[in-house]
Amino acid sequence: MSDNLEHSFVKQLQENQNIIHKICRLYTNGDDAHKDLFQEITIQLWKAFPKFRGDSKFSTWAYRVALNTAITLYRKTKRSINTIEFEGRQHFLNDVEYDYEEEEQLKLMYKAVYQLNDIEKALIFMYLEDKDYQEISETLGISEVNARVKMNRIKGKLKKILNPLGV
Amino acid sequence: MKELDLLKKDWQKSDNSFEQVSEIEIYKMIHKKSSSIVKWIFIISIIEFVVLNSLSFLLPDDKMSKSGTIEIFITVLDYLSYGVALFFMYLFYKNYRSISVTSNTKKLMECILNTRKTVRYYIGYNLFIVFFVAVILLSNEIQIKFATNNDDGARIFFTCIVMLIFILILVGIVWLFYQLIYGILLKKLNRNYAELKKIDL
Repeated sequence: MSDNLEHSFVKQLQENQNIIHKICRLYTNGDDAHKDLFQEITIQLWKAFPKFRGDSKFSTWAYRVALNTAITLYRKTKRSINTIEFEGRQHFLNDVEYDYEEEEQLKLMYKAVYQLNDIEKALIFMYLEDKDYQEISETLGISEVNARVKMNRIKGKLKKILNPLGV
Repeated sequence: MKELDLLKKDWQKSDNSFEQVSEIEIYKMIHKKSSSIVKWIFIISIIEFVVLNSLSFLLPDDKMSKSGTIEIFITVLDYLSYGVALFFMYLFYKNYRSISVTSNTKKLMECILNTRKTVRYYIGYNLFIVFFVAVILLSNEIQIKFATNNDDGARIFFTCIVMLIFILILVGIVWLFYQLIYGILLKKLNRNYAELKKIDL
């Protein structure tokens, strides 16, 4: 593959890398696993890049490949308890007004999202990224109606995790 | 859901929370080898094709006394299995080529599972043939021994039964072995595929 193609790919990926980081954060725990998945997604994106025609945005295209890699192709699943992730995040809220209660709620919410299965995480991910149901359904290969129904169920599930007694 | 809105707000703010990977690091990454399951399925499948096909060369050929019809039967089967092997390899290659990381998640999973299925059918077919040929040869052996009548009939019969059970156990072990390899390799994929299908019911 030509140097030009390589250069264009590396540049675009570098600019859009947060997409991949976010997926890695959702699907892995710990730095090593994060880096590992990041690398695999990068390789898959690079392998698919010659077929990327640019009729969609690089980021839209990258969402799909990255999610597919995380859900389908990636094999190493290191299981450990996800507590490390949230600790390092406090500093963002510090510079705005610090709200202890909000901070606590956020931590619980992140924890709850981690408990979802791979497919549910994909839906939540796209919801958090403000994707519409049409894009969600096209990415996962399910109908739009069913994507909506599933999303509502996930919200219910999250509520239940946050408040298991239903009070 | 109030908490979800809160999460969404925080999520969209979190862009600058990640340690940025430099262009040089990305250059290095794209030259590394993938560890995706597709690659492993491809490698293992090729090994399966090669092993199964070379096995037929290694098997002892002339140990048993063959009558004319049996000999013709085995020769026909030999040629037939080359054709069948080629057909399966063509199917496998076609399915493998259709795997695309840019198709939607459900389709990608289906393509991978289909590729895998082709090889599984090939193995199933081979196990069946091995069993089938063994039965034909054994029954032929019994017939010949009975006709020449120079040995105790009951003993030959007993030996054949033992051999048959032995072959069955061998086939069973091979089958279990495959279940194990692909069970490990495809566990996550199967689980996620089932989940995705459940949504679309």
